[in-house]
Amino acid sequence: MTGRATSSPGGSTAASSPPIDLSSGKYLKLWQGPQHPGITGNMSVELTVCGDEVVEGKTHVGYLHRGFEKLMERRTFIQVFPIVCRVCVPEPDFNEYCYAATIEELAGIEAPERALWIRTLILEMGRINSYMMYLGGQAGALGMGVIGQWTTYVRDLMLDRFEELTGARIYHMFILPGGVRDGLPDGFDGRMEETLREIERTLADVEDVMFHNAVFKKRTKGVGVIPVDLIDRYGVTGPNARAAGLPNDVRKDHPYLVYPELTFEPVTGTDSDMYTRADVRRRDVAVSVDLIRQIIAKMPRTGPLTAKLPNVLHWKIPRGETYVRGECSRGEYGYYTVTDGSGHPRRINVRGPSYTHAMALLEHLIPGTNIADVAALMVSLHTYPPEIER
Amino acid sequence: MPEGKGHAKLKTLTNLREVLTVATEFERTARDFYTALAPKVSKSIRYLVEELVAEEQQHLDLFAGLAGRADVEAVLETEIERPASDRKFSDCIHLPDLGDNPDDQAVLQYALAREHAAMEQYTALAEATPPGALRNVFVFLANEETKHKNELEAVYYRVVHSGGV
Amino acid sequence: MRDVLSPFLAWKNLFRDPVSIRDPLNREAAPRYRGFHKNDVEKCIGCGTCETICQNGAIDMVPVDGFDPKNGDSGLRPRIDYGRCCWCALCVDVCMTGSLTMSNAYKWVDADPDAFRFIPGVDAKSWDGSEHGYVCAEGHHLTALERVPMDEMEPEARISNFDEIVAGYDVARAKLEADRCVSCGLCIATCPAHMAIPQYIEAVRDGDYERGVALLYETNPFSNTCGRVCTHKCETACAVHNEGEAIAIRWLKRHIMDQVPQEKVREIVGKPGPATGRKVAIVGAGPAGLTAAFDLAKAGHAVTVYETRHAAGGMTRYGIPEYRLPYDALDRDVDVITSLGVDIRCDTRIGRDVAMADLHAANDAVVLAIGLHLGRSTRIPGSEHAQVKKAVDLLRQITDGEAFDVPKSAVVIGGGNVAMDIARSLARLQKQIHGKVDVTVTALEDLPHFLADREEVKECGEEGIPIFDARGPQQIVIDDAGRVTGLRTWRVKSIFDDKGRFAPSYDESDELFHPAEMVIEAIGQASDVSLLGEALTEELAWNRGRIAIDPDGRTSVPWLWSAGDCVAGPDVVHAVADGHRVAASIAAVFAERSDARE
Repeated sequence: MTGRATSSPGGSTAASSPPIDLSSGKYLKLWQGPQHPGITGNMSVELTVCGDEVVEGKTHVGYLHRGFEKLMERRTFIQVFPIVCRVCVPEPDFNEYCYAATIEELAGIEAPERALWIRTLILEMGRINSYMMYLGGQAGALGMGVIGQWTTYVRDLMLDRFEELTGARIYHMFILPGGVRDGLPDGFDGRMEETLREIERTLADVEDVMFHNAVFKKRTKGVGVIPVDLIDRYGVTGPNARAAGLPNDVRKDHPYLVYPELTFEPVTGTDSDMYTRADVRRRDVAVSVDLIRQIIAKMPRTGPLTAKLPNVLHWKIPRGETYVRGECSRGEYGYYTVTDGSGHPRRINVRGPSYTHAMALLEHLIPGTNIADVAALMVSLHTYPPEIER
Repeated sequence: MPEGKGHAKLKTLTNLREVLTVATEFERTARDFYTALAPKVSKSIRYLVEELVAEEQQHLDLFAGLAGRADVEAVLETEIERPASDRKFSDCIHLPDLGDNPDDQAVLQYALAREHAAMEQYTALAEATPPGALRNVFVFLANEETKHKNELEAVYYRVVHSGGV
Repeated sequence: MRDVLSPFLAWKNLFRDPVSIRDPLNREAAPRYRGFHKNDVEKCIGCGTCETICQNGAIDMVPVDGFDPKNGDSGLRPRIDYGRCCWCALCVDVCMTGSLTMSNAYKWVDADPDAFRFIPGVDAKSWDGSEHGYVCAEGHHLTALERVPMDEMEPEARISNFDEIVAGYDVARAKLEADRCVSCGLCIATCPAHMAIPQYIEAVRDGDYERGVALLYETNPFSNTCGRVCTHKCETACAVHNEGEAIAIRWLKRHIMDQVPQEKVREIVGKPGPATGRKVAIVGAGPAGLTAAFDLAKAGHAVTVYETRHAAGGMTRYGIPEYRLPYDALDRDVDVITSLGVDIRCDTRIGRDVAMADLHAANDAVVLAIGLHLGRSTRIPGSEHAQVKKAVDLLRQITDGEAFDVPKSAVVIGGGNVAMDIARSLARLQKQIHGKVDVTVTALEDLPHFLADREEVKECGEEGIPIFDARGPQQIVIDDAGRVTGLRTWRVKSIFDDKGRFAPSYDESDELFHPAEMVIEAIGQASDVSLLGEALTEELAWNRGRIAIDPDGRTSVPWLWSAGDCVAGPDVVHAVADGHRVAASIAAVFAERSDARE
């Protein structure tokens, strides 16, 4: 790998600054959030500013806690299935996949081949939608509202595909333990191809208008750099890590579903700044578009969609524990599931990448930034507070 | 219409008044027969005989009422051909021997045979009569007896063909 | 320079057509969209499985006008609260009848917030006729529809002996079968004894057989017997029965009893209650009489049971062949009852050895549970011949091991289980004695109206016993030497009228002769009420040939109760239920008398 980012300007300058004396009158406390700061959901950042410069940022979460992990412990294994998607609104399918995969592993069930292909398809469709929300948000945080209109439009086209495939637009509740609920509807391939072309066209426009844009470059290049030495220490994964030059991708590192049968390379960048992260994500959309085309071309069209399950009404799973992860649009998403032989999960822990990115990492990156960049910086880490607070 | 044999040849024609008289007599003797039988049978099956008494009384009232109707009165003297079933029918007026303590099946079999004879008789008479008020009377009588026989057959199945698991 | 000009490319969109949906209010959702619910309330059985699976608690089963509870239908229908529903469609996936479905409608505006809690299919909605909406993918079932197979002896292996045909489930198969149950409980309402079926099936799933035995004995002291030969009406009410094969409730009951040693069963059942000083006589040691004896003994009353035959069990012993109900299984049920101190006096006929009046004089209450042991005859010509037998008599002889000349060929008249029992028993004896089976069954009913169980008919065929259905017996043919040569039958054109009442009509031109040395009549049975004596017969109130009883089983004579087949018709589990009923009634009367004395 070449050109890895090595400096960590934010963190180091803050560390060498004099202690903050609030009574000096030079500092101001400013709360950003908990109403949506940017589009990253309900959390807040407590900023200490000195003029335009932010000298300290503390992240506060807890505004979105719904107790999902606890709810799961009070439900049967099949009843957990409809609620997991709600853990993460913009990219819910990873919850369905990871939950189903842990349950299958612990119960000794294998989902049929055809279901694995459809699961992979769904996860890539979801990834594109998540990136589309990000691109619109990243541009919007810097005052470029039109990008969000374009990406929302193509995201809507993909939601149409979700609707016809899964029967729902947002919470698909489609990947259930044992398999998936149905096969592709008639004519799906053609409509998906049209959608993919529209995505590619939009992506080209976004490249022209957002990425070849002097203003965008000025605001994002060299800003919010994540030093490469922080990547592992802070548990940074996904595009946030890849923009620093590390080819971290669960799809490659710990292959799952049908990824071993698909051809792709993880997209990386070199500068680890806001611009590079945005660019990695933009190029990642193209990878997903290509993966969907490969899946559509290769997937089996007949065969069972679900494995035979025990009667789900009194399904008990032997004592055991396992962790299943996948590469979502923000990085490593995982479910740690513990069973105790009863009809309910003993414990489920959801590992959302936003937990580290939006809390510890953001706190580290904020000092030294301009107050006008904080919202854009948050967005550039692509975090979803719902998965921080399960 | 098949040719009558034996005694039917002696008198091939009868009239409605005669038919009605015989039919009324038929019901009366049946009622009296069952009335006399009731105390002889075990109380456990007496309901069967008591129901037959009520049934026959109802028919008796019906036939008695028929004779008084103006439209029936008008055709009472019409001559009709005596049907082949007449003999069987008339036989039923004679009191049968069911023994001192008949069981439910015997009572039912006897009652069924009676109803069957009556049903055949009226059906044959209806077929032998040209369309009109007279024929309607026979059709009515045949239907009444058929209904009664059907009821009895249902009872027979329930009583005799029960208990088989 | 490019970075300055490139953003202006955004202007090119001015020349594009708008991409927004022109009429968003009337956009139809995708065909498989999970929209608002529909329910075919005629098809729905109110099993409540949708309510059970709903993780939001959004479904309540509620009574609905026009739907009364009946066999296999609770009369309840799901009411859905859209304030809680998440449209996950698990209710649709799990629906046992396929009645609950979804439309693809997703817009519903109402000023009344309570309107969104509604009963699909009852509260009319604009989407009720919708053709689209989520349906379960083919083959996607959350519960298993096929019954776990049961090992049985092959026809060749079983035809020469009276060994039990059905092997019984092993633990692994029983668990699999028990796993199919959805615990809806519709079966409980249908079972005459209201056995705790879902609970004991759960005990099988948990492998807790002692809990299973305790549950069985709460409602049925004849679980070894009922586990084999129950009429299992519960299985017709089973929710799984609608789209698949009913849970093998009967076999699971037997499985529980098979797993627990007899000593342990006795221990679980416990000891009789403290003696009350009350005495009860029971006439007839069948399931009804002995169930009453069981309950009364547990309550501390002294019970004596009088049985005219050599052994206890009633029709379960003397009517049902050993290959269906081995005597040792029945003996285990009886053993638990006698272990409570119940005194069963066999070979004691009331009216001959003991008078009814004496029973009355010596006891505080008497229960008549005499069953249906008199065979009915067709009374067709020839039926009085000595080689024309009644099935119940022959079956009794076989049970008692009495020797009789097994005919080389026989024809059975009847289409019920008794007909199958005697035909198959005779076939076995023929195989043992003559080396060859020659039994024919003729029945008035056509196969779709057969009273015999499906499996009996099937197994009859497997054992080489031809069944001629829809044949009306006309005459038993006797040759000049006075020997029975066979049975003459006419074809039955129809047996029931449009109201389902018996109204046979024959096709006399379609005559068959079934050659046989012996004719066996198995058309029906009656109760031998002659033991009552004339005075008591007159004193009692009767109801269409049967002793009249109140809902508690009490006759018009204050000291006499009656239970079982003789008052309710043939059904083993109904007899058990009857036994409980009269025992409870007697106990209540005793309690009243005690109160009156104090």
